[in-house]
Amino acid sequence: MKKLKIPEVHDMHPNVTPLIDVVMCLIVFYMLVAKIGVATGAVPMDLPISVWGKRLQDMGNTITLNVIRPAVGDVPIVTTLDPETGQIVEKPILDTSRVPPRRVLTETLTFFRKVNPEIKAIIRADQNIEYRFLEPVLICCAEAQVKNVNFATRVAQQVAGGE
Amino acid sequence: MKLKASQKVRFETGPNMTPLVDIVMVILIFLMLTGSFLAAEHFLVSNLPLTRKGAGGVAQATNIPLDEPLEIRVDSFTRPGPDGVPQEMWAAQAGGFMIQNSREALTKQLIRMRENFNRNNTPTDRIQVVINPSRITKYKHLVEAYQAAVEAEFTKVAFSTAH
Repeated sequence: MKKLKIPEVHDMHPNVTPLIDVVMCLIVFYMLVAKIGVATGAVPMDLPISVWGKRLQDMGNTITLNVIRPAVGDVPIVTTLDPETGQIVEKPILDTSRVPPRRVLTETLTFFRKVNPEIKAIIRADQNIEYRFLEPVLICCAEAQVKNVNFATRVAQQVAGGE
Repeated sequence: MKLKASQKVRFETGPNMTPLVDIVMVILIFLMLTGSFLAAEHFLVSNLPLTRKGAGGVAQATNIPLDEPLEIRVDSFTRPGPDGVPQEMWAAQAGGFMIQNSREALTKQLIRMRENFNRNNTPTDRIQVVINPSRITKYKHLVEAYQAAVEAEFTKVAFSTAH
């Protein structure tokens, strides 16, 4: 019986085929899962955990409001994405430097609502923030007649898995 | 002494993969650095931003008078734990019952209340759940009450001004 031999390899280069396979898989994964060039204005923060949240299918009709506890006082710091510059800018609840004081956040939300009546507000806030900081933002949403308000939360399973 | 391998003629019939690997690696690194994953977040959806409470309160949305209100009063407080370290607690009052630190118990109570409404010919979509926090109620505790309302199959959940 003839003995089978492993054929002699003439190529001096390493076999890159498995490398390309793996890399291609990674590229396809990133292209499908990652959001590139989609600036929502979301600032990383310690969001509350929930299990009953919904995913928003249409992130195009949203305005993200990051509510941050101020160092002093009861007026929260609210930041959002400026669509013109692509930068995250602060939108004060009340601009007291002008007479009469301007309700800047209400005016901004009203403007967005007039441009797009289907606008949804996304509120992001630290899980330990008190309601007195959220309330003015909700009042601004109500005054601007933004009817759909969404509270961003973390998915519970991810926390259980050791985030 | 001559090397045996150098005498052999090498045949490379396959395409040169080096440029492909270079480009693919650049794309992969670009996607890894620029991509962001928002899939770990989801949202608690509110049908109206805020309802005002108390004398002289003004209804913000036109659908408020039509719906039956169901109020959940939520408070945060601290209590000394068994080891003396203060523990964060929350309490919710709904339908004359007070529930502490238990979303499951609050959900059961809300389900009972919803079933009572349904028995009195009020459909679930005509019930407006209003979460009424205090000024110092923590956001994460509001989310617990909110989730209990969603879990109890209420479709309209909103916040009121602080009590």
